[in-house]
Amino acid sequence: MAETNPTDTIETALANLRDSFLPRFRAADTEQALRDENAKILGKKGELTAILKQLGRAPAESRKAIGEKVNAFKQEVEAGFGSCLKNLQRLEREAELSAPPFDLTLPGRAPVLAGHKHPVAMVREDVVAIFRQLGFAVFDGPEIEHEENNFTRLGFPPDHPATDMQDSFWTTSGKLLRTHTSNIQIRAMTTIEPPMAFIAPGTVYRRDDDATHSPQFHQIEAFLVDRNVTLAHLKGVLAEFAERLYGPGTPVRLRPSYFPFVEPGAEVDIGCVFCKQANQTRAGCNICKHTGWIEILGCGLIHPVVFENCGIDPEQWSGFALGMGLERIAMLRYGIPNIKLLFENDPRMLAQF
Amino acid sequence: MKVSYNWLRELVPLLTACPSDLADRLSNAGLEVEGITEYGVATEACLVARVVSVRSHPTKSGLRLVTVDRGAGVLQEVVCGAPNVPAAGGLVVLAPLGAHLAAKNMTIARRAIGGVESEGMLCSEDELGLSLDHSGILILPQALAEPGTTLAAAIPNARDTIFEIGVTPNRPDCLGHVGVAREVCAIYGFPFALPSPGQKPAATDHQTKSLVAIAVQDAERCPHYGAAGVVDVAIGPSPLGVRYRLQALGVRSISNVVDVTNLVMLEYGHPMHAFDLDRVGGARIVIRRATSSEKLVTLDGIARTLVKDDLLICDGSGPVALAGVMGGASSEIQNTTNRVLFEVACFDPRGVRRTARRHGMHTESSHRFERGVDPGDVVRVLDRAVALTVELAGGSATAGQIHVQGTRVDAEPAPPPRRIVPLRAQRIGATLGVDVPFVEAIGILERLGCEAKAGTSGSEGLTDEVEVLVPTHRPDLVREVDLIEEIIRIRGMSSVPAVLPAVRASRDVGGREELARRARAAATSIGLSEAITFGFTSESVLSALSAPPPAVRLANPLGEQYAVMRTTVLPGLLEAVKNARRHGERNVRQFTIGPVFLSRQDSRDGLASEASEKDSELPCESMRIGFVLAGERPGWLEKPKSFDAWDAKGYAMALVERISGQAARVEPLDRAHAPAHLHPRGAAFLCIGTERVGSFGPLHPDVVDSLELDGEVLVGEIDLEPFTKAAQAPQYVNIARFPASVRDVAFVVKDDVLAGEVERVVRNAALPLGETVHLFDRFVGGSVPEGSSNLAFHVVYRAVDRTLTDAEVDAAHANVVKEVAARFGAMLRG
Repeated sequence: MAETNPTDTIETALANLRDSFLPRFRAADTEQALRDENAKILGKKGELTAILKQLGRAPAESRKAIGEKVNAFKQEVEAGFGSCLKNLQRLEREAELSAPPFDLTLPGRAPVLAGHKHPVAMVREDVVAIFRQLGFAVFDGPEIEHEENNFTRLGFPPDHPATDMQDSFWTTSGKLLRTHTSNIQIRAMTTIEPPMAFIAPGTVYRRDDDATHSPQFHQIEAFLVDRNVTLAHLKGVLAEFAERLYGPGTPVRLRPSYFPFVEPGAEVDIGCVFCKQANQTRAGCNICKHTGWIEILGCGLIHPVVFENCGIDPEQWSGFALGMGLERIAMLRYGIPNIKLLFENDPRMLAQF
Repeated sequence: MKVSYNWLRELVPLLTACPSDLADRLSNAGLEVEGITEYGVATEACLVARVVSVRSHPTKSGLRLVTVDRGAGVLQEVVCGAPNVPAAGGLVVLAPLGAHLAAKNMTIARRAIGGVESEGMLCSEDELGLSLDHSGILILPQALAEPGTTLAAAIPNARDTIFEIGVTPNRPDCLGHVGVAREVCAIYGFPFALPSPGQKPAATDHQTKSLVAIAVQDAERCPHYGAAGVVDVAIGPSPLGVRYRLQALGVRSISNVVDVTNLVMLEYGHPMHAFDLDRVGGARIVIRRATSSEKLVTLDGIARTLVKDDLLICDGSGPVALAGVMGGASSEIQNTTNRVLFEVACFDPRGVRRTARRHGMHTESSHRFERGVDPGDVVRVLDRAVALTVELAGGSATAGQIHVQGTRVDAEPAPPPRRIVPLRAQRIGATLGVDVPFVEAIGILERLGCEAKAGTSGSEGLTDEVEVLVPTHRPDLVREVDLIEEIIRIRGMSSVPAVLPAVRASRDVGGREELARRARAAATSIGLSEAITFGFTSESVLSALSAPPPAVRLANPLGEQYAVMRTTVLPGLLEAVKNARRHGERNVRQFTIGPVFLSRQDSRDGLASEASEKDSELPCESMRIGFVLAGERPGWLEKPKSFDAWDAKGYAMALVERISGQAARVEPLDRAHAPAHLHPRGAAFLCIGTERVGSFGPLHPDVVDSLELDGEVLVGEIDLEPFTKAAQAPQYVNIARFPASVRDVAFVVKDDVLAGEVERVVRNAALPLGETVHLFDRFVGGSVPEGSSNLAFHVVYRAVDRTLTDAEVDAAHANVVKEVAARFGAMLRG
């Protein structure tokens, strides 16, 4: 048998490989199988490398031509691999896209599980913001107070039943836990010259602990002292406040009442926000006891006695003060039925706000 | 104050408004109607009936069959179980078929009782809603009314509408029906007239002043003591009309004479007292202050030990009443009383209040005296009581009244002084912001009992200032502004327009509201929820939490658990954890913001710095934020893991950094210095720079047990006072423009080597090219030798001015490995 011509052998091997590589690539059904097949042909120990090893036996004059052929073939294989790879990837993506949808009923993974502000704090921030927009600034003061600032200078007569409305906690050193934020009126008016416009949000204490009272609760006091402040100005601020806190068109009414440090004094009702009808009338409901009105705060013109007790001339200056309990506003706003819930700090309750 | 609609209509004949309209008008004038109840509704459906015959029930012993005439000769037989069915001719009350008895929530239906059909029921007062008496059926007086008349028509007072009015403490005049009637007239513009005291009874020859001698030893505490007498009275029950009027107003009927004192008090608002004159020892009444430790048994059966400030009514043998508060048992009206002495006095409101509070008493009498009774109505009230007594209990009035005013004793009192208050027309508009014609204003005041006369400054014909003579029943009208309030109160506050003022803005004083707002935002942003916690706690809890001893103790706490003011904000948070766990909620992540109350020595600044001299008597209130972590760390569909010390560290640092805008540092503590309430292995201080601002860690297991917290809890507390100023604005640092090279490296180190130390050495060794060092894994077990852990770091190398070459990075990283190995004997892991 005649010895085979190495050139022919290489040519034959290349031709065989050329015929077979595409079907082999196409048979691969995963990317890995395709890459493996590619490596079998083009890898270091691949079939093409094996063919090239025979190149040395070929006559020198034909090596160059064979080399070019091999290179061209190599490109052909790579192109085939590329297109098969692309095809496979497209199939894979299509398979992924048409697979069953994710179960989005599983809980979402929140970036940070944000905490909750206390409902009373939310109301406090809102009320403070409204009064700030109206030009009032915040005046801080202590929770443990001199009797003088909490009662005497506010015009509470000694041994008078008016103090029954505010049964106090006394300290063993004769101070008291402030029963209202009105102590700030005294602190402001004895340290700052009028005019002034302040709010005083804060914690207050009264010696009441029953189903509808908490011994500690929160108030915001607002007061304005200037020349020629009238009851009409108080009504103006109240109307604006009600519109901003409870929505446009919220009606406000004043009912005369008594607080020792204001005269005239009044309690303020707003139109019930729970049974309001589209035509702005009120149907009456349990929350407003079928009156159509809800009491939200107490107010009045600052009593001349209070001015005098602070060294301000009531003939020259006048002013108004108003004070509200934040718990009541929060309970109305969020439909919280019992004040005690606001102080139990039950996580199931706090998580609702 | 309960107010009868019927009675108001008797006092104000022109009043036609229905109860709900009247209630609105009263509320809008400052007499807030807090509730309206109906009294005796069933009396409109129930009929007067006459017993015709009575026979036994055929089968049931104890029941009887009563045939009654229910009007117009119509007879009806009903089954009745009451023990007191009257004989034929007696008048009873029949609830006919269909009548609704609201008090029993029951409608009369046809029913068979023991086989006998009954189409109605004979009623007790209890069933009619007239009183709580259910001892037997109501038996009416003979000839009260014809059978068939409704009970409401037969006894008008058996049906009434009762207003519950929240009378403010400045309005003692409205603690009686006459005062409320005066208001009603002022509101509606009706003329007001005081009621007639009734038929003036013929007086006997007995002079009141010869029956009893009265001496007032403390005229300051008792400026006026008036008395009048009735002799030959017959004590007995009051007529039904009187009983039901009292009952409707919440007062139990006792006997005709005692009922007189209550009726007159409810009419005029002036409490009074009735003595059995024959039991007044020595026929003497002395009003004096108690001696120290003197004893008196009051009508409620309680023996009271008195002090010198208490004012007493005494007879010849000793104290008989605590003046203005409550009588004693010794001289009260008996069934056999024949001679009655009525007392109508004026006591100093403040003294009555002190006595009532001292003895823990609050009576109808003290309630009115504390607020101030009308010093001008004593004669009128006595006249009324005497006339009513003669009407209800017979007898005759003694001649003349006794009035003691200081040393003056006379049959007529000296009129009490009346206050004069000037009123300027101009001030009305200047105060209210609405123009009220002066004539209208004065008219309102006159309707309330004031008298106005032109002041001196008015020009001829046109006056712009008047002097207002205030009636004695209005102790609250003292200043001009009080009159202006009356004007707008009656005119209606709705007549004032709403005008937004031009506010001259102020600037914040103190900065705690903003500080709290910032702290709140920071805490909620890291997943904590806000608790509002009590300022008071107990001394034992403070001591368990190794907090400073209380600086403030309450003199009248609600209980031992709330006896002192807190010096740490943790108690309330731990209480929340305890409550939550009791309800089966294991996971609690909460914070609270508020002051602690420290002695001036314990505090570092707080209010102290700005406090005036007087305020240095107050404790220092220092703002804190505290947080608590209990239960499991939030995760996503993975095996839950409990919070541990590193969670506490993470929350604590995030809080401080977000609130302050500055980098926080943790200063771990050795066992000797850890706060006693924290776990000795996990306690640490939080610092900014060199300043300690807080602490955190797991709660000590002994504290967990002693506070009954039922499981591990982590806590942290941070002083907010250093952050009162707004957080520093962050300053921009150039961001890198050249690429970084990242190398990971892991070391096996002994457990006593602190990870932070290793990190610090890595960081220093990587300089100057090392930009950040991040410990990303800590691993124990597996191939890591016992007692060691594997720490893996990402080290990022970067230069600001060029791209680093591999050789540079390799050299820097080799130095890191070398340093750590040299320093800790650490093995490099591949």
